[in-house]
Amino acid sequence: MKMRLILASVIIPLGIIIAAVPENTTKPFRLTAGELLNEVQNGSQFISTDQIADMLVQKDPSLQLIDVRSQAEFEKYSLPGSVNVPLSDLLSKEWSDFLDQGLRMNVFYSNGNLKSNEAWMITRQLGYKNNYVLQGGLNYWAETILNPQAPKSVLADDEIAKYDFRKGASAALGGGNTLESNVKESKSSKPVIVKKKKKKRVAGGC
Amino acid sequence: MAPLIVNEIISPDTNLLLALLIGIGFGFVLESSGFSSSRKMVGVFYGYDTTVLKVFFTGAITAIMGILFLSLFGLVQMDYLYIHPTYMTSAILGGVVMGGGFLLGGYCPGTAFSAIAIGKIDGMLFMVGMFIGVFLFAEGYPLWEGVYKANFMGTTTMNEILDIPRGVFALGLILIALAMFWVGEWAEKKFPREEY
Repeated sequence: MKMRLILASVIIPLGIIIAAVPENTTKPFRLTAGELLNEVQNGSQFISTDQIADMLVQKDPSLQLIDVRSQAEFEKYSLPGSVNVPLSDLLSKEWSDFLDQGLRMNVFYSNGNLKSNEAWMITRQLGYKNNYVLQGGLNYWAETILNPQAPKSVLADDEIAKYDFRKGASAALGGGNTLESNVKESKSSKPVIVKKKKKKRVAGGC
Repeated sequence: MAPLIVNEIISPDTNLLLALLIGIGFGFVLESSGFSSSRKMVGVFYGYDTTVLKVFFTGAITAIMGILFLSLFGLVQMDYLYIHPTYMTSAILGGVVMGGGFLLGGYCPGTAFSAIAIGKIDGMLFMVGMFIGVFLFAEGYPLWEGVYKANFMGTTTMNEILDIPRGVFALGLILIALAMFWVGEWAEKKFPREEY
């Protein structure tokens, strides 16, 4: 009996300690600095605007565009089908299932490369896969897809083909001269932001 | 640092080897503490022997304290631990079926194998029954798929359901366990059996 009292007098204080201390919620980084540097140098996280335009035109279901700009900027203009995860919300629990998954291809974009690349670096260090960056961001998107410049006719065929593709994509995705009206249009047809429910709370009864 | 396999400290093969060693240790301890006797096992239902309850609650509170303290010191990353998804209806129905089978057959699945290991015939019959159950479940799966998947709650944990910090839940579980031990010992005195 004495032994039991000793064990109980050990485990109860331990329980009180664990109840009293805050939970350790530090998020561990999974990649070493060297590994990350290597990936950054490769630049394999970058996806070209042409590839994204192609996927958008094809309505590729595996593509998930993620706008890391502020909500105000997102509401002003966003790419079709994208969701808004401002950089400051990147680590919120709500999005962790969304960012850390192996099914879809998440592509971060911002105005340039900076914010989206920051988002990619943070998620990559957490060990998340399937996250990419739209190369050049929306600025380059506007330049190449929405308002493609006709190449000089002396250029190689593939440049011409690229221009033709861009012109087609531009028409499909709302670019070109009618940019202003299209911005309006894309506003009205702005996709509903589907926030994935992370965990179902018990609605009583259990 | 831990989980070892996620952080690539050990390979999946080493992981399997460790699982084998732990499994052998577990089986050995089950057998040596008398869990291969169905009379001892069902004692918990009649109150004359509550070893089962004491052992499993001790296991639970030891594990919970171990994990929480390792997490506190940053030695285990809770985010990477596997949490079994919860199907509430299945959990309750399964618990009832398992309890009924336990009471009727005198074993739970693990201890049945312990009993087989020392050549007990009732253990072997129990295992045959278990496989019949597995077979019926699998063959009739379309019939109970709806019930099986009802009330899915994701990979939730008790403290999230109750919305309390996990440390507080751990303390609560410890107090409950100690109270259960006390009740168990009291029951053993109240309903003694000479030989079983």
